[in-house]
Amino acid sequence: MAHRLEIGLKPELSDPGGQSLINKAHDYMGIEINNARVLRVLTFDTALTSEELETVRKRIFTNPVTDISSFAPLAPRVLSDFDWALWVGLKPGVRDNEGSTALEAMADVLGREMAEDEAVYFSRLYLLKAPGISRDEAESLCAELLANPIIQSWQVIAKDQWDPENGIGIFIPKVKLAHEPSVLNLEIKSDRDLMELSLERNLFLNEADIPVIRAYFDDPEVRSLRAEKGLKAPTDVELEYVSQARSDHCNHNTFNGRFEYRDMLTGEEQVVDNLFKECIKHPTEKLAAERDWVVSVLWDNAGVARLDDNNNYVITGETHNSPSNMEAYGGAITGIVGVYRDPMGTGKGAKLSAGMWGFCVGPRDYDGELKPALHPKRLLDGIIEGVRDGGNKSGIPTASGLLHFDPRYIGKCLVFVSALGVMPAQLGGEPSHEKTTRPGDLVVMCGGRVGADGIHGVTASSAGYSENTPAGHVQIGDPYTQKKMHDFLLEARDKGLIPYITDNGGGGLSSSVGESARLSPGAEVDLKKVPLKYEGLDPWQIWVSESQERMTVAVAPEDHDAFMALSDKHDVLSTVIGRFTGDGMLKLTYGDKVCCYVDVAFLEKGFPQWQFEAAWLPPAARGLVEPVLGDPEEMNSLVLDLLESPNLCSREWINRQFDHEVQGTSVIKPFVGVKADIPSEAGVILPVLESDTGLAMASVLLTEYGDIDTYHMITASVEEGLRRMTAVGGDPEQVGGVDNFCWPSIIYDPKTNPDGQYKAAQLVRACWGLKDACLALGIPLLSGKDSMYVDGTLKSEKGLTQRVSGPPTMMFTATAPVPGLHRAQTLEPKAAGDLVYVLGRTKDELGGSALYGLMNLTGLKVPETDFDASKALCRALSRALEANLAASTCVVSKGGLAYGFARMVMAAGMGLDLDLDLLDAEENLSGLGRLFSESTGRMIVTVDPAKKAEFEALLKDVAWAEVGRVAGHDRLLIKGLGRNLVELDAAGMRQSFNKRFGGLV
Amino acid sequence: MTVRALVLAGYGLNCDVETNHALLLAGAEAEVVHVNDLTGYKGHKPVKTLDQYDILAFVGGFSWGDDHGGGVVLAARLANHLGDQVREFVDQGGLAIGICNGFQVLVNLGLLPGLKGQTERSVALIANNCGNFQDRWVEMLAEPKSPCVFTRGLSRFDLPIRHGEGKFVATDETLARLEENGLVALRYGDGRGDRANGEFPQNPNGSKNDIAGICDQTGRIFGLMPHPEGFYRQSQHPLWTRLREEKTRKGEPFDSMAPAAGLKFFQNAVEAVKQEKAK
Repeated sequence: MAHRLEIGLKPELSDPGGQSLINKAHDYMGIEINNARVLRVLTFDTALTSEELETVRKRIFTNPVTDISSFAPLAPRVLSDFDWALWVGLKPGVRDNEGSTALEAMADVLGREMAEDEAVYFSRLYLLKAPGISRDEAESLCAELLANPIIQSWQVIAKDQWDPENGIGIFIPKVKLAHEPSVLNLEIKSDRDLMELSLERNLFLNEADIPVIRAYFDDPEVRSLRAEKGLKAPTDVELEYVSQARSDHCNHNTFNGRFEYRDMLTGEEQVVDNLFKECIKHPTEKLAAERDWVVSVLWDNAGVARLDDNNNYVITGETHNSPSNMEAYGGAITGIVGVYRDPMGTGKGAKLSAGMWGFCVGPRDYDGELKPALHPKRLLDGIIEGVRDGGNKSGIPTASGLLHFDPRYIGKCLVFVSALGVMPAQLGGEPSHEKTTRPGDLVVMCGGRVGADGIHGVTASSAGYSENTPAGHVQIGDPYTQKKMHDFLLEARDKGLIPYITDNGGGGLSSSVGESARLSPGAEVDLKKVPLKYEGLDPWQIWVSESQERMTVAVAPEDHDAFMALSDKHDVLSTVIGRFTGDGMLKLTYGDKVCCYVDVAFLEKGFPQWQFEAAWLPPAARGLVEPVLGDPEEMNSLVLDLLESPNLCSREWINRQFDHEVQGTSVIKPFVGVKADIPSEAGVILPVLESDTGLAMASVLLTEYGDIDTYHMITASVEEGLRRMTAVGGDPEQVGGVDNFCWPSIIYDPKTNPDGQYKAAQLVRACWGLKDACLALGIPLLSGKDSMYVDGTLKSEKGLTQRVSGPPTMMFTATAPVPGLHRAQTLEPKAAGDLVYVLGRTKDELGGSALYGLMNLTGLKVPETDFDASKALCRALSRALEANLAASTCVVSKGGLAYGFARMVMAAGMGLDLDLDLLDAEENLSGLGRLFSESTGRMIVTVDPAKKAEFEALLKDVAWAEVGRVAGHDRLLIKGLGRNLVELDAAGMRQSFNKRFGGLV
Repeated sequence: MTVRALVLAGYGLNCDVETNHALLLAGAEAEVVHVNDLTGYKGHKPVKTLDQYDILAFVGGFSWGDDHGGGVVLAARLANHLGDQVREFVDQGGLAIGICNGFQVLVNLGLLPGLKGQTERSVALIANNCGNFQDRWVEMLAEPKSPCVFTRGLSRFDLPIRHGEGKFVATDETLARLEENGLVALRYGDGRGDRANGEFPQNPNGSKNDIAGICDQTGRIFGLMPHPEGFYRQSQHPLWTRLREEKTRKGEPFDSMAPAAGLKFFQNAVEAVKQEKAK
């Protein structure tokens, strides 16, 4: 029999959850709530006796100091005069983390295993004293604040409808699939047949792939081999497998495409045979061959580079855009927990050391006509909470990140998540980054169970929902389950039990087993052995499900018992689902019946390349011009406006929610300065506590430059990555990069994507920029991913629909070892009287600048990067840091020198006394140019006067100027052009810097 | 002389590695031990017992995901399987430190504050007043009159806090008894050496009486929300680069890896065990 337990804080204690609801209802929706209490609800669908129920109520679920609880409605005891009761619970099949830990704890306390069909479901009940609100408003509180209709359901109960005896009643969101699993044989007689099948089943097969697939299954040799296994027509398992493997997500068809690029102004044409090979693979191979610190790139789940003599680090970056756009919390938590599996599945497995984030959303105060899936404010809240829970509960420091607003992201937001890990260079005398599957090894699936989650990603239709249909396409990451698995796998690795490991991400088993089977080569798996969340899944669903928190491991048969015992110790579910073979075939069965028999090499050969036409029009020809601006008399308000602007103001509220110090590795935090509130140039951690080699990391995203020319956007991003690494003490000769491209669709269609060819040209130019910058600056790409289709079709208030494409975006992530923490440095000046230097030349490059952004201008003169000058600068600065000559290092980027100087003053609580006439600048550069130009290759450095000569001796190959001093006061004083341009104090600047988001917690 | 320390791990705990590292630096023979190595699991008997150790460290993290209250499920598990061993360990004068989630565990086990006549839970750590997880550095004031072994010789220093549920609450009566008996070992300071007086963010969670850490009457069982292992070396402090500059300009040496205030907690514990063993 089912029971419902309600738990709440004692009425005399304040309820932060209730208060947070009151605040958000007021701030976000203008709804006034006088009082709110939140009850936790556990619904037990178990065979517990009433004594047992009372035991778990008291011993687990009720804290006698703070809580009251009851199996009867608690409302009369916590808020008897409530006006509305809002109940919010998860839909069937959605991962219920609290419910499953409740069950686990109950089994332990009661000393008995819980039966397969026993379950506990968690939900919340909000009691509101809000006499003024209508039912519609109460409904919208649920729909817009408390729940997401994709994963949650709710009930709104007015006080006069309240049933005092039964309260909200009992709702059991159990999945019941009244379905007998089966395998379909799909007779395909023509290309058209297959195309129709593809549409029907959401396979998204590319038209050009269709004849290749048909040819394979029609091949007489293949037919006779299949006949031996009792197979004739392709099965649904096989077609699903092929479509997953051929998807753009898994196969990067766009980047592997052939591009015909044409400059529309000059008519010049150029063919790029394969964008990935030419701009990413070849440069990386060349750079890796010349650098012994590049350990493993271009094939595994993440790249591997050397940290110090005994340890390597592992890095990769991902995006989780589409799911986050629909269900921000679930999408973001699944994203960060998911990317953490990549280092775990790299080589023989890495320990997770740090996470990074990048969020691109529409303006937080957006009030335009078009209605995005979620308002940017709520979207951002959800994303932050998802990364918070995913990162914090994984026990991995969320060490660095960025947030960027642009109205074009209302079509689809971007959620970047990156992961860093470390592993000993050698494990048991073998290189840790090498792995392979061998015939005879067992195929073991570790971690969570498989449900209908994530089948066909987010494209799955939500039609035909019933009360007991799983919310198939939406996933909620479970960091707790994964953390246990992480600890287990590291111990198994160190015991030498793991010859091969990879993660289950996109495509699920079809991808992890499919790819690992290419090494042995061959595998056979019985899909009936895969542990399920609920019965009734078809074999093809088991094969492609993207249910989270799973790894696929090869285990030698003689290690089976040791591996399983260790798995039990860590309370991790591990199951042998098959074995690797050497016959080159992927054989899947469901019980004894063969349902897939495909050559493992089939997917690697014979498929045609995608083709794109790219049409470029240079910026001036597109009508971009440089605005004609005159210098104002003084620039105080411009500086303050910049500090207050959404893309440069404080993001402290986000970083504070992220544990950036767990593992004890923190060296340079996301914030620096006397008030610890000024964003640092890069994060630095000490990933191996016994070593003194740090690891620096930072991400760069310069979307605005792409509005002028994506080539320069990318070169500036890569160069800034190098400077950020150098500024915090990283070795500029050992900088690695990760490219994460997020691009609108480049598939031209005169109706739906009329500027597709231009977007394709932007992509080609971006890749050229990446190639040139990496080669010139010596930065190999350790990892990278692309996510296309950053587009959304939104409806306006008047019912119009409009397609909104996101701006071409690439987040560039840089990493570098810091060889000795004595080199680590921060941006705040340390002593009054120190000399202030600006290194690098300031040019008239305001195009795409933050200053123009304040005026909604784009401009034309985008910063162009001088690679040689930047390299010389970084080399000189690196020597200065090694010799302890630089007392602070500040990277000049968005917002130009003005933003750099302002951050230094706020961080130090010390002033700067500067004369910008002294600057090494382009001739006749205006005051605006001097203060706000975003020329790349510049750094602000302060130096002890006693070290002046020694420091300047290092600057032979660098443009530089001494422009003033650190002052005893706390003001930013800037002279120039014969007058005082800026006169601001630290407190005033901090006020502007915190004005926009300072009130958020 | 060997001082043996156990650092608890598993089920979502996540500060085991650095806590173990700090204990090793403090001179203990420390090891990370999985909960199930103490309780046994699926056909496997326990391989460790608490009486093999002088110091127990209940570390930070999210045991069981913090679902149903921080430390609640782990405490229930420990009470269920190791209740007798824990009592024995405490009665024999063993030392125990609970940090963050570990503090929540000790409180839920009823070991803290362990006031006379109380066996039930009598204090609690609940959701921060600000309603959210917070990672920030705070000033710590150690109470000189506290019997706490771990905070000996400490007075005013900084530590990081990283939690969503760290608000210390108890009835007025219990609070009064804690204060009378000097069981409040650590409080949040205002940054200038005085008590934070409940002000956010100096008191980051709204704890009553600015309480950051308490001990039992022996001073040997101690729990705190801040993370001493988060400040075991100088270069974990948010302002260490500035301190380095100040020192080197005065001609004084500065070592980024040198011990910091948080390590003192572990050194004190090791020292106390050594002294007793020498007796």
